[in-house]
This record gives sequence, C-alpha cells and structure tokens, in this order.
Amino acid sequence: MIDTRVWLLWAVTILALASSIRNPLYVIILLLIVTVVGGACNPDRERGAIFLPLRFAATTIPLAALFNGLTVHLGDATLFHLPDWLPLMGGAVTLEALIFGATNGLILTAIFGGFTVFNQVTPARDLMKLTPRAFHEAGVVLSIALNFIPQTSRSLKHIREAQEVRGHRVQGLRDWLPIVVPLLVSGLERSMKLAEAMVARGYGGTSDEELPLRNQALLALGLAALLLGWLGHLFHIAWPAAAWGLVAVGAALIAGVVWSASRSVSHTVYRERRWAVHDTLAALGCGLTLVVALTQQEALYYSPYPHLTWPVFDPLVGLGILGLLAPAILTAQAGSRQKKVASNR
Amino acid sequence: MNAHRIVGGVIHALSGAIGLLAFIYPFFLQTQRGSAINFAHSQDALLVTVALVGLSLMAMLVELQGQAVSAKTVALLGVMVAIASVLRFIEVAVPIPGGFSPIFAPIILAGYVFGGRFGFLMGIFTLLLSGLITGGIGPWLPYQMFTAGWVGLTAGWLSNIIPQGKNLKFEAVTLSAFGFVWGLLYGLIINLYFWPLASGPVEQTWVSGISFKEILTRYAAFYAVTSLGWDLARAVGNAALILFLGAPTIRALARFQRRFYFEVSPAHD
Repeated sequence: MIDTRVWLLWAVTILALASSIRNPLYVIILLLIVTVVGGACNPDRERGAIFLPLRFAATTIPLAALFNGLTVHLGDATLFHLPDWLPLMGGAVTLEALIFGATNGLILTAIFGGFTVFNQVTPARDLMKLTPRAFHEAGVVLSIALNFIPQTSRSLKHIREAQEVRGHRVQGLRDWLPIVVPLLVSGLERSMKLAEAMVARGYGGTSDEELPLRNQALLALGLAALLLGWLGHLFHIAWPAAAWGLVAVGAALIAGVVWSASRSVSHTVYRERRWAVHDTLAALGCGLTLVVALTQQEALYYSPYPHLTWPVFDPLVGLGILGLLAPAILTAQAGSRQKKVASNR
Repeated sequence: MNAHRIVGGVIHALSGAIGLLAFIYPFFLQTQRGSAINFAHSQDALLVTVALVGLSLMAMLVELQGQAVSAKTVALLGVMVAIASVLRFIEVAVPIPGGFSPIFAPIILAGYVFGGRFGFLMGIFTLLLSGLITGGIGPWLPYQMFTAGWVGLTAGWLSNIIPQGKNLKFEAVTLSAFGFVWGLLYGLIINLYFWPLASGPVEQTWVSGISFKEILTRYAAFYAVTSLGWDLARAVGNAALILFLGAPTIRALARFQRRFYFEVSPAHD
C-alpha cells in the first residue's frame, strides 16, 4: 500500500499538471492515467464509484463545449450563425470554440477524477494523521467529529423511527423540527459528557497555556511578509525576486512557528507505518511529472484559435506525464508478488 | 487590552486580508489572452494562491488554538461539526435543487449563539471534515473553508447588534435574512477566484486594464448568467431553514451555552 504522503503528492501533481495543460492529447493521457490508477489501487471500491467521474464527464464536457460554443464567437470554421439580436449568444458558432470548451470540460474531469481517486484510496484517518502536531486541538476536534458522525447518523435514524411510531410524517420543512431539535439536544448532551470525561482524564492541563507572545509576533510578521510579497508580485514591483523573497520569508516564519508549536506537543503512535522503497519510487514518478508540469508549460499549451490545427505531441513530455502511473504499477507488482507467495504456500 | 489580544487582532486582520486578496487577486493579473506564457503564469498564480491561502489558514489556526481552548469548547465544536457534516450527506445523497446546502444554517446559528471565533472554527472544520468524508477535497477546499469561516464569524458579530434572548422570532427572522444574503454572497465570493481565468463572451469576462466600474458590470453579467439561479436556491434554502427551525434551535443552543460556560464568582463582602 502506498503511503498517504505520496498520494498527496500525486493529487497535487495532477492539479499542477491540469492547471498548465491545454493540449487535448495530453489531457486524454492524464484521464487514462487517472482511470488506470483508480482501477489498480482501489479494486475493492463500490461499483458505483467508477461511474462518478464518468457521470461528471458526461455532464461537464458537453456543457462546457456548448457554453463556450454559444458564447465565444472566435475561430474560422463557422458551423452556423445565431441571430445577432440574441443577447450574448448572437453570432457565429465555431468548431474552434466548441473544441476549446470541450478541452476545458476534459481538464475539469481530470481534476475531479484525480481527486476522486485520491479520496477513495486515502482513508480520512490517515489524512488526519498527517496533521502537524501544532494543530493537535484541531485534530482532536476532527477526531471527535469523525467518531460522532456514525453516532449522529444512528441518532437521526432512531429519532425518525421514534417520531414515526408517534404518527409523525415529514412532509414539509416545519416537520423536521421534532427531529432536528432532539438530534441537536442529544448531541449537545453527549458533548457535555465527553468534555467532563476529557477533563477527568487531564485534558486541558497543557492547553491552558497560551501561544507565547514571541511566536504570536512571528506569526504576524510571517503573514505581513506573505501579504507584502504577494502584493509586490501582483503590482509588478521593480525587483520581482524581492517579492518572492518576502513570500519565502513569510512562509518560513509561519512554518517555523508551526514547527516550534509542534515540538511542545508529545505524540505517540501505536504502530508507525514505515516508509518503503515503493513509496520512494512512486514519489519519484510523481516528481518527474511535476517537473514536466512546471517546466514544459509552452509544450503543454494549445489554442485552437483562430484556425483549428492538430495539437503538437512531444513524446518526451508524454513520457514525463506517465510518471503518474507509478502508484498503479507498484501496486500491481505488489499484488502479483503476494499472489505468488500465497500460491507457493 | 493586553499585548496578546493586540497581536491576535493583527493576525486575524492580516489573515483576513490574505484571504480577501486570494479571491480578488486575478483582477491584478496583467495577462493578455491567447499568449501561452502568460496563460501559464496565470495558472501558476492559481497554485500559488492555493498555497498562500493554506499558509494563512494555518497561521489563523495556530493563533486560535493558542487562546487556551477548553475541553468543553473542543467537545462542543467536535459534536456540532459532526451534526453539520451529517447534514452534508443529505446534500450529497438527495438531489436538492441548485446550490442549496443544509450546512450553512447550523454554522450561522452556532456562530450567533457561541460567538464569532466559534463560528469561524465551525465553518472551516465543517467544510474540511465534510470534504474528507464526502470526497470533496480539491483546490477549491481552502476557498470554501475560508468563506464558510467568514459566514460563522460574521454571524458572531451579528450577536453584538441584536439583543439576544429578548425576542426569538425577531432573531430568527433577522438570521433568516442574514442566511439569505450569505447564500448569495457565498457563490459570489467563491466564483471570484476563477472568473478572470474563465473563457466566455466579452461582456462577461475580465480583461486587463479595464476600469473598476467595467469590472463590476462584467462580473455582475457573468454572475447573473452562470450562478444567480444556482445561488438563489441556496439563499432561499438557508432563509427557510433558519426561519422554520431557527427559534427552537437558538433556544436549545443558548440553554447549553449557559451550561457550558457558567462561571463561579467568589462572593465579595
């Protein structure tokens, strides 16, 4: 099984690539990769899960093509004319505009599909474990919420059943009142008991300490540097490097405070997951694609306007994108190795 | 006012300013359409913005956590986030018209009763957790978290204006109107970050160098065509939920607020 941090890198790489890409050939490759990785790394998923991105694509691609085709009147290959008196839509409907819109839909599908796979293969608890220790209280809140969700769902079901036994039927919004208020009150009662149990077990013994003033001041400085650097970049100051330097200083200050706050929180793990060789290989594959996404932006770009031309395909860029397949290849390899061991036994 | 509170206020203001800039930054992008390099740079800016919003949220969280959060607040927040996240399931499972989502009503009501800080935290945690459990993680999440946080924060500010516990009906009606406005504002704000990068007709798209009035006119046209109908469903849904369920919910929350945050003061002779 691939480490959650690698999956995070995989999802970020998909986002970075999809943000730079406009060439439909590369977008199609990206979509195929997402489909293959989803199938190989999550074979136990529910049957409906695979149709989720397909359903999204079936709606988004035609809609994006239609919207762009009807509202953007650029391009030479005119398909038909809409009357000029029609607001926004009046004018030539061109093949170029339809293709540009469809490419937008494909890119949106790739992002949606990528994050769907990411959500399927990474359990919420593993993602929460990645939370820096500085956010331990946020982690506690999310853990409580995560554990209370099944209880809350059960309570909702029980309350509905109890009200139905009393002859209550939900027909309008007002009929939710006898369900929502008991659900809320029972939840709040449980939180009261939980808070008492937490205090009894010593919770709050350390959290009563406020963030030191020095750290607070560093946070404020970090945010100010981020803001000034970003404003400098947006307004094109004479020294762009200085603007990015300020952003870097701000990010480093915030990261430093988070690191310092993390050190003051002790953290124990029952069984720590070890970083394995296949994690490194999968991360390297994603890294390769990330480099392509960040350095080959001109090659990834394509515009059908004003004349429709066949998009240029660079095999090296295509190969670089294939780095995203690494999790699927490594998972398939691990699966076949396990089968071999099982058959030998 | 002590130094901690002053610096805390500065952190909130700076974080809010970065959040605001994250939504309006594309207005400052000096791109020309059709150019590959400029297009690519405008796309980079989107990634940079997501990273900056994430950093700003981190700073805000460290600061809010540093304010000595009690066990009661942590437990209460956890349970309220769970209740609101369960409501998100309804949104995903049941085909509700338009952009209606039942998660905003609890954020508004909790922010109103328990204060702006609680409302802000509930807004960001609800969107984060419901994103985790419904597969809603993506580049849009930091923006949604920030905006939902603002919904809860401003609901807390509202409690400073309206006299609480005097006239529940009036409170529910006011919060219902507040929910209606935020239903539209939420979509209006979330759309902002990608609008200048979207393609479309000239009357609805952003172009570098146009006047502020022209920007507003074009954005209004874009919003009216693409989002108003969708957001109206959210606004009406928020208003109806708070109108019908608001008063008893406020009563229940206020009762627990008194139980949670009671203080024992020593008697003075």
